[in-house]
Amino acid sequence: MNVTDSLTVARLRLVGITIGVLAVLGAVLSGIFDVDLSRLITRGFVTRSLEMATPITLAAIGGLYAEKSGVFNIGLEGFMIFGAFTTAGTMFALGGTSPTQGDVWVAILVAIVVSTLLTAVFAVLLIRYKADQIVAGLAVWFVGLGFAPFVAALVWGSRSSPGLTSIDKLAFGQSPLVFLTIVVVGVAWVFLFRTRYGYWVQAAGENPEALDTAGVDVNRVRYATVIFSGAMAGFGGAVLLAHAGNFVGTGSTMVDGRGWIAIVAYLFGNYNPVGAAAAALLFGALDMLNVQFQTVGIEISARLVNLLPYVAVLVVLTAYGKTRIPAVVGEPYETEE
Amino acid sequence: MSDSEAASNGGGVLDAVAARLLDASVLERIGIAVASTTLAILIGLVVAAATGYDPVQFASQLLVGAFGSERAIARTLRSTTLFVLTGVAVAIAFRAGVFNIGVQGQFVVGGFSTVVSIIWLAAFVPSGTVGGIVLMLSGTAAGVVTGGLYGALPGVMKAYGDANEIITTIMLNFIATGFVGWLVAGPFGDPEATATRTRRLPDNVELPQAVFGDPNLSIVGILLMLGVVALVAVITSRTRFGYDMVTSGYQDTAATYSGVDAKRMVISTMTFSGMVAGLTGALFVIMIQGYYTDPSGIGNYGFDAIAVSLLAANNPLGVLPAGLLFGGLESASSHVQINSDVPVQLIDGIVGLVVLFVAAPELFRMIAARTGLGGDAE
Amino acid sequence: MTRNAPAVRLEGITKRFGDVVANDAVDFTLDQGSIHALLGENGSGKTTLMSVLYGLYDQNSGTIHVDGEERTFESPRDAMDAGVGMIHQHFQLVKPMTVLQNVILGHEPTEGGTVDEASARAEIEDICDRYGFDIDRELDTPVEELDLGAQQRVEIVKSLYRGAEVLILDEPTAVLTPQEVDGLMEVMNDLREDGRSLIFISHKLDEALEIADDITVLRDGKAMGTVPAAETTESDLARMMVGREVLFDRLERDPGTGAPVLEVEDLRVSGDRGRERVEGVDLTVHEGEILGIAGVQGNGQSELIEGITGLRRPDDGIVRLGGTDIADRSRRDRIEDGIAYIPEDRQTEGLVQEYSLQRNALLGNQTIEPYAKNGFLDWDAVENHAADVIEEYDVQPPNPETDAESLSGGNQQKFIVGREIGHDPDVLVASHPTRGVDIGSIEFIHERLMELRDQGVGILMVSSKLEEIQKLSDRIAVMYEGEFVDVVDPEAVTESDLGLLMAGGTLAEGSDDESESVDGGVSS
Repeated sequence: MNVTDSLTVARLRLVGITIGVLAVLGAVLSGIFDVDLSRLITRGFVTRSLEMATPITLAAIGGLYAEKSGVFNIGLEGFMIFGAFTTAGTMFALGGTSPTQGDVWVAILVAIVVSTLLTAVFAVLLIRYKADQIVAGLAVWFVGLGFAPFVAALVWGSRSSPGLTSIDKLAFGQSPLVFLTIVVVGVAWVFLFRTRYGYWVQAAGENPEALDTAGVDVNRVRYATVIFSGAMAGFGGAVLLAHAGNFVGTGSTMVDGRGWIAIVAYLFGNYNPVGAAAAALLFGALDMLNVQFQTVGIEISARLVNLLPYVAVLVVLTAYGKTRIPAVVGEPYETEE
Repeated sequence: MSDSEAASNGGGVLDAVAARLLDASVLERIGIAVASTTLAILIGLVVAAATGYDPVQFASQLLVGAFGSERAIARTLRSTTLFVLTGVAVAIAFRAGVFNIGVQGQFVVGGFSTVVSIIWLAAFVPSGTVGGIVLMLSGTAAGVVTGGLYGALPGVMKAYGDANEIITTIMLNFIATGFVGWLVAGPFGDPEATATRTRRLPDNVELPQAVFGDPNLSIVGILLMLGVVALVAVITSRTRFGYDMVTSGYQDTAATYSGVDAKRMVISTMTFSGMVAGLTGALFVIMIQGYYTDPSGIGNYGFDAIAVSLLAANNPLGVLPAGLLFGGLESASSHVQINSDVPVQLIDGIVGLVVLFVAAPELFRMIAARTGLGGDAE
Repeated sequence: MTRNAPAVRLEGITKRFGDVVANDAVDFTLDQGSIHALLGENGSGKTTLMSVLYGLYDQNSGTIHVDGEERTFESPRDAMDAGVGMIHQHFQLVKPMTVLQNVILGHEPTEGGTVDEASARAEIEDICDRYGFDIDRELDTPVEELDLGAQQRVEIVKSLYRGAEVLILDEPTAVLTPQEVDGLMEVMNDLREDGRSLIFISHKLDEALEIADDITVLRDGKAMGTVPAAETTESDLARMMVGREVLFDRLERDPGTGAPVLEVEDLRVSGDRGRERVEGVDLTVHEGEILGIAGVQGNGQSELIEGITGLRRPDDGIVRLGGTDIADRSRRDRIEDGIAYIPEDRQTEGLVQEYSLQRNALLGNQTIEPYAKNGFLDWDAVENHAADVIEEYDVQPPNPETDAESLSGGNQQKFIVGREIGHDPDVLVASHPTRGVDIGSIEFIHERLMELRDQGVGILMVSSKLEEIQKLSDRIAVMYEGEFVDVVDPEAVTESDLGLLMAGGTLAEGSDDESESVDGGVSS
């Protein structure tokens, strides 16, 4: 049995455990609180879960590309904050407190462009100046936590924005961004596993010398993936804002750890875009349980239920920590000389 | 051969000390720390200017706010105590190669359990100074133990579940904030208070003040800070445990070769680090707060501590000046908040930039080489 | 391009790294359709020279001609475009990717944006047919699941797929069994007959003589001359390589007459991926003897050593030191019990690179008096220890404040050997004690090991160098697929006997006079 097999077995086992735990939890809940499970899992719940999973998925896909190529972009959370804020700021600049749908789309695009530019600087620090990836990634988070509320305070006189507008639903009560994300997941999968560039990304993280001696510039591949990861995290932040409709900059901001959860999502998804999306959906659903509990009348503090995704992350990481990470993650690559 | 032999054998303690101080890498680290801070503050001033504020005025407000008056200095020292202690907590873990980002959470649960245990014990202990001392000691012990356990948890998850400690500790921060926030609002809330907080600590739980007449700064706190710094410095440089720890941080394979049990090391490092964070939480509630409130509003000491530690190159002694810098910034931001229109979040952003630059020493090496400041231009 | 021009001509190549001159005005000519061996000791500049040719390094001066045209190669890509391919000593393979993906990496045929695996497959199968490679059956297997010989064939196919006319093989035989070496020689022969030109880098005289048309010897970065293989001898070449007469002397042996100090019974140890790598080994090391373990790398030697030194917890079995079972004791306990260990990898295990030699002198001694008392360290005692080791073992530079990383490999190794022997051990476990070390240091380390043996210490040594095993061992155990195939007397076996055993074969006659583990466990 090879490594991939044993990992697959481990993952299947974990999925089994997860389903089992959820079943028991459901049974206990319906027993104690006397609720009908079918009322807990409603169409609205599925819609909200998908909506909540999209920002995590987008950031996770970015993050997995970077890590596959050998760079741990731990700054996803920070780039999501920048993405969310830029979207809100652009919406406000274009349409004040009542931006149009067109403004929303433009704002999302602007957010992606801004995140791309910011990540380009970050990528130069990581790759050209060999910055410590962990510390620099944390710094991006801190910078985001400081500057986004700072500019928000300049613009709105408060760390949060007033109500702007959220994106219109498309079909099945679902946001167009959800459909867009599904397309992104598919394209990301094909690109990574079926194109030459995808091969290069994988080789850059496993044996950069092999790629170098095959005549491909390793650092160019890494620049591309790191910048892509920041752009995707910024996109994720933008989507989060487009669904929420206003920016919250207090405490840990509206992103509130979703960038970190995105990292766990792609680890859990074994660096596979589809797996990462599935994991993100799990976390998104947990995030939305709060609303479900309220609608069916389960009296648990929202504050406690909101901790569920974080607890889930701990369980997932500990039960399934032994992901096979790319061999050279974190090591800068230098051609001999 | 004979020359260098004479040199290496003839050296005394003084030579060794001098050599260490002049050690290029130590000088270089100090240089990088100073350069990072300066650059970050400069960028902060540029941002202030770009957004329509007077950078000179902002800079002077930073200075005045940190050191401009006796009150400001007392306020600076108060924050410094917390930054140094949390900074040491981070440094312990980072030194051992373990990324404890969870000092904030350990600080929160430590402080909370100090409050809860003191309020609970107060019923059994006589009032008066002696009773107060008993309460403070046992409360501090509770804080240290809880912080240590909350630090040990991600250590165990890393050692036995291979769970990345960066992510688990960040999750545990969110959980600590949310859970303690719920406890403070609900089961442990003071029903008579309008704000969300626990009951106050009894009056006899109070530390003697320092020279400044600041009710929230005690000489005991400052001495505790210095004592912990000295203790950790001795442990890392003079004990077997410290050697094991630091060696694990530099090169875990070599540590294992030398007989260090890697799993146990991770757990003990995280516990040690969490204990110092819990101690800081205890000092925070006893010296400053006097009760516990919603932790989402108590300040990001545990996060800024990461910057403090990195700025100090994770050296416990270096944490002192780095902590003073951050204490000054924190103190200045409360001054800026009252006396200026500049949103104080700018200072948080500056802190982030400090960390970003500290992460990229190569940047400064190249700048130094270009400008000929660094000596050898290789 | 003229047909008669040499395939490759290097003129006056000089390459410096800082102050070190790795290649000093080297001339080298590779004729079309020939095999040219590049001989030299480790560190003589062979690999550097070829890296210049392959575009990995820029030379400081000198010119490169390929097929009579002067070329400058900025990168390996340029070299490949000119038809030069290189098979590195450390394979440039992406382990989790399949054989096919590895072969086409960087040269993927595409169709409609995605990789066209079908056409790549056809082309690779063509190449395999032409040279009789078997890897076309494994095209969809991840490379990490192949053995080293097969991985090497993947590397060769990769170069051919990229259209290499000139192939550089960097120490290709280092990781192979003698039988696999024969297979490689055949492949090289076929390639030559097909008109391709090969550069064969080696430090093994016999191999160069066997396969090459011409031989160029490098020493200290200088070319010592080029000779036709047919007109030279091993001793001539050896003199050119080393610069003086080389004595292939054998030292007097003292086969295990002392009391047993280290006894291992039915030891079972698992590797990193949970697979059992040591499958029931028995061995005994006596006082005053060296037991050498021969074997192709990756047959469980590392796991065996780690099971004995305590770096890996054995699954089952007994490890007895001076009569007491220590199989359940920790690494630290075993250090205190008196097992010294020269580790397999000095860079990652034996030394902390960023520590000074002084701090490194404490590594492994943290709990031992006089360096530590009640948990506190005595740095003066440590410094004295470091100074002693540096002086006694002639470590350069002789300064305890120097960081380990700035020392050469030989000096690092001497420091480790000195530190470990300084423990005054009962048993010394030495894993590849002279790997990557210069000749002078090798002789020095060998002498120290012999001295230690004469003092009555039991030594267990693993090495992939047969000459080292044969020179030092009092008895030789051969390990294959997690088991001891045989324990033999070094005087009674030849190198090819050992090669046969290392490949899992058995010797026809019972030349194994004293056997502890002759279960001949060869099922294949």
